[in-house]
Amino acid sequence: MMLPQRLHKLFTPLIQPLLAVLIGLLAGAIAISFVGEPVFETYKAMWEGAFGNFYFLTSTLARATPILLVGLGVALAFRAGVFNLGSEGQMVLGAVSAALAALCIPGPPVVKLLAAIVAGMLAGGLWALLAGWMESRFKVQLLISTLLLNYVAVLFASYLVAGPFQDKTGSAALAQTPMIDQGAWLPKLFPGMSVHMGFVIAIVCAVVLIVILKYTAPGYEVKMLGLNPFFAQYGGVNKVKLLLLSMFFSGALAGLAGSVEVLGSQYRYVDGALTAPGFAWTGMMAALLANSNPLGTVVTAILLAALETGAMGMERNTEVPLEVASVIQAVLILFISAKLTLKLVKFRRKEREVHGTV
Amino acid sequence: MAHRLEMRNMTKRYGEFTANDNICISLDQGEVLAIVGENGAGKTTLMRMLYGLEQPSSGEIILNGKKVSFSGPQEAISRGIGMVHQHFMLFYDFTVAENIVIGHEPKKYGFFRRKAADEAVQKLAEQFKIGVNTAKKAGDCSIGEQQRIEILKVLYQGADIIILDEPTAVLTPFEVDGLLKTIRFLADQGKSIILITHKLREVMKVADRVTVLRNGKVTGSVHTSETNADKLAQLMVGRQLQKLNERDSISGDILLEAKGITIGQKGEKPELDRVSLTVRHGEILGVAGVSGNGQSQLIQAITGLRAVQEGSVRLKGQDLTEENVLARRKAGISHIPEDRYLWGAAKDATVEETALMGSQRNPKYSEKSFIRKASFRTRVKDWISRFEIKTSSLQEKAGNLSGGNLQKLIVARELDFHAPLLIAAEPTRGVDIGAMEYIHEALLEKRNSGDGILLISSELSEILALSDKIAVMYEGRIAGILDRSEATEETLSVLMAGGKQHDATAKTS
Ligand SMILES: Nc1ncnc2c1ncn2[C@@H]1O[C@H](COP(=O)(O)OP(=O)(O)OP(=O)(O)O)[C@@H](O)[C@H]1O
Ligand SMILES: [Mg+2]
Repeated sequence: MMLPQRLHKLFTPLIQPLLAVLIGLLAGAIAISFVGEPVFETYKAMWEGAFGNFYFLTSTLARATPILLVGLGVALAFRAGVFNLGSEGQMVLGAVSAALAALCIPGPPVVKLLAAIVAGMLAGGLWALLAGWMESRFKVQLLISTLLLNYVAVLFASYLVAGPFQDKTGSAALAQTPMIDQGAWLPKLFPGMSVHMGFVIAIVCAVVLIVILKYTAPGYEVKMLGLNPFFAQYGGVNKVKLLLLSMFFSGALAGLAGSVEVLGSQYRYVDGALTAPGFAWTGMMAALLANSNPLGTVVTAILLAALETGAMGMERNTEVPLEVASVIQAVLILFISAKLTLKLVKFRRKEREVHGTV
Repeated sequence: MAHRLEMRNMTKRYGEFTANDNICISLDQGEVLAIVGENGAGKTTLMRMLYGLEQPSSGEIILNGKKVSFSGPQEAISRGIGMVHQHFMLFYDFTVAENIVIGHEPKKYGFFRRKAADEAVQKLAEQFKIGVNTAKKAGDCSIGEQQRIEILKVLYQGADIIILDEPTAVLTPFEVDGLLKTIRFLADQGKSIILITHKLREVMKVADRVTVLRNGKVTGSVHTSETNADKLAQLMVGRQLQKLNERDSISGDILLEAKGITIGQKGEKPELDRVSLTVRHGEILGVAGVSGNGQSQLIQAITGLRAVQEGSVRLKGQDLTEENVLARRKAGISHIPEDRYLWGAAKDATVEETALMGSQRNPKYSEKSFIRKASFRTRVKDWISRFEIKTSSLQEKAGNLSGGNLQKLIVARELDFHAPLLIAAEPTRGVDIGAMEYIHEALLEKRNSGDGILLISSELSEILALSDKIAVMYEGRIAGILDRSEATEETLSVLMAGGKQHDATAKTS
């Protein structure tokens, strides 16, 4: 009796996102038949591209790594009742700080590596904290400030690597930092495969987050703050402090995403290498699709990464254009926005009708 | 003659739980039907089905001889069924008239005709003798006025059957009388009314018939002319109600001392104006007053939810003025909030999570900030049995509890802190008479054990029954403080309406 119930509880948060993905795939199928290609073959190619063999599987996991970390950060903020739309900026600042720390801090490679990770998390966290502080101090809406701070962060990072910290060794002057010492790299999990230690770090973060939210007092307070801030305050929760803390850790996770990407796969900060693939936005999608459930976010992050790697495989092996993946993503975004709108409407109504019927 | 409305064999199941079990009720034209019953008996559920907010598991609704079913409130409204929500869904920036016509505005060439709206509302108000000021902003209206707006809105939408779910819970005695008169008048005009309430005096005064529910079933249906409040009470709780226990006379040291508390925006009339009061150990200080005269601000100032501009709050001599909510809770203040859904709970949290608030960092229930759920659960289970809180499990959503059951959960939680000072705001709002008795007993017991209680209530009978001293608030000030022996409904009413203390006492002596 006990076990099925537990399993049931574990899987209910997954039903909705999986359903959304299914609907997305259906829409994609329509698009594929629209361009006159066989649906089954195409999806098979996509599946192969994402999970077909060990190499593809590990590439998918590598791609999922930053998405998952960003997603966990967004999920944490959302649980506390705030929107962190600034993951991109936090991730980029984290990445550039990690790269610079690894390059500049003296000492043995392990120290460099650890320092880089800490610097990346700190940079992302503080950047998010700035937005939180502006809200608590000057009532600047987080929704807007986090979004705008993205531009500041991304442009600042571009400046750093195109100017003072540019790699001058190569022949072409690319906007990137020099390469980090090999000793300070995050090791690959399997030789020749792209998935690196960062994936393990991300999974550990997910587990830690689950445990914190579910079993600890701060996790409980974050949850109550998200569900009803008045109730939390009434019970003695320090709203401002907890919000700032949540923002900090949310940003730190995004910063960590940038750091492991630098330390585990690019080995330097390359301008645009994190923004072009849209890791941050996909991560945000993963969190929202999973209703901010950390376990759900693990699943959705891998699914969304698979969608992207699979689409590449599909393009290699069929005539279907890469854009079909965008159709599927678009449907998912529609799904999320519908859900969010509903939530917002409900939230608004709650403000007015505090009691409802008794 | 056929009934105007019949609900036959209505059953509503939530999973395994049956909230309504084969309930049959009928309602005639011009009739006031009261539905009473203990918390969680299924009254609200039955009404939600009638209003289309909930789909019955089985059963049928017969309206004017025809079988109907509603997939949403809009359909119920179009068939002449209206519901006055207990908390009001008004647009505070709109005028009273606009709020009433909203959704069915008089229009010409697609433009809103403000004057026509005003006139229509004016006429309606006169027709049904409901006093409102149509040009006022809804946000400036008192609770009583807001309720009248809601009733007019329902009438404007053409309702013949009007559902009122605990409409008097938030009103002052004076407003209650007005509402009861309105209800009677509406019935005389041919409207049919369903009134849910826990107050048997109201039932006896206004209803033609009473239907009693218990555990989702109808246990009796009587004409008010053939019964009385005591018999009804017995029908509801299945036993005789007890008189309150004797109070020992204790005069302890000062526990809470609030001095000159002022809250307000600069340049505006302060919401709280130099309020001073003391609560001693072993004393219940009642705070009476029409709601909206500064009681909420007083509670928030003492509990630390709102900063004060001037004044100080001391507990057992310790200055708490600059401390936050947590520090004050630790110093010994617990708090039953006036609004259970705003402050007291999170609707989407579970019963267990709602119960945990305030104990999450108590070393007894958490170890290195890991919450010890198992030991906490035994405590909650104890509350559930002591207060007879009906819930399917500890994992039930708090918002799914019936209003009274959630209230009992919150009361149990705050009492169990055993804090020296309890701030009890509307502690029995929405609970049935059995539970009210139990909560009153518990409050007295706490007082007799030497703790102090600040009791804020719009229910004068509650204030009079429990308090050792009574402070009356009017327009953000303390209008007077009376001793238990000199306080009567009359003296308090004079002060509540802005009279002077010596008027109040002179009139009665
Ligand atoms: N959505 C729901 N899911 C599960 N159980 C529910 C739901 N709504 C109501 N219940 C349960 O149904 C029972 C009846 O609730 P209802 O609100 O009708 O009681 P009530 O008679 O109005 O009580 P009160 O006097 O406290 O307002 C309660 O035990 C409640 O927990
Ligand atoms: Mg009810």
